[in-house]
Amino acid sequence: MEERLYDLIFICRPDTPETEIDKLIATLQHAVDEKQAKLEKIEKWGTRRLAYRVKRLREGFFVYLLLRSSHGELLKELERRLRVSDAVVKYLTIRLDEEIKRQEKFTKRRERRAARRPRKPAAAPAPLGAPAAPEQAAAKG
Amino acid sequence: MPEETPAAPQHPPSQHGPSHHSSGGPGGRPPGGPGGPGGRPGGPHRRGKRNYVRKKKVCRFCVDKIDLIDYKKPEMLQSFVQERGKILPRRITGTCARHQRWLTVAIKRAQNIALLPFASEL
Repeated sequence: MEERLYDLIFICRPDTPETEIDKLIATLQHAVDEKQAKLEKIEKWGTRRLAYRVKRLREGFFVYLLLRSSHGELLKELERRLRVSDAVVKYLTIRLDEEIKRQEKFTKRRERRAARRPRKPAAAPAPLGAPAAPEQAAAKG
Repeated sequence: MPEETPAAPQHPPSQHGPSHHSSGGPGGRPPGGPGGPGGRPGGPHRRGKRNYVRKKKVCRFCVDKIDLIDYKKPEMLQSFVQERGKILPRRITGTCARHQRWLTVAIKRAQNIALLPFASEL
């Protein structure tokens, strides 16, 4: 089965101790390892202001994970864990691989286009001379 | 009337985020109308269309060569959103069709994870 790339962001309550967040990440890591998947990035963005209130909170501790997996089931499991956890107030998973593929396609296309960018100048003045000649001949005759 | 006072600050002058809105040009006539011969009573009729110069907008993503619009950077997406959180149309920001399509997706994702507001409260 092909590998897929996912973004996984979750927001914890800002008052949860960081050790607890680390523990939560460790359990997720464990579940990921079980399915032979890989967490390519684990970023703790820290406490940030939320754009709107979530469960009456105005701030949240953001954690960002980049996951490479070939098991769709794993996502279900991770989301279940996040939902069950008391500290997590919001989470979001996004599948990324298709977008990255699309992006690569366009980058490549632009490079190709840039490579042949030096266009030859249009050959406009050539046909202008042709109709002028018979007119002159008519004036003489 | 108690309702009058809170209604007043609801329309700040900055409803349209970027200032380059087309109809703000000199005169304030709707563009495109040929005017007609009887357009202006008295005074010499001015010849030709009023030539206001509209600056050509270019897609910022094309200029910067960004192919993947990242929803994880709300600071960047903020400039394509009105103050209240509405997505700005292409005709105002000058984004090309393809990038606008991805931009809306990115903005909506950012909204879902509380990086951008759906509608910011007053």
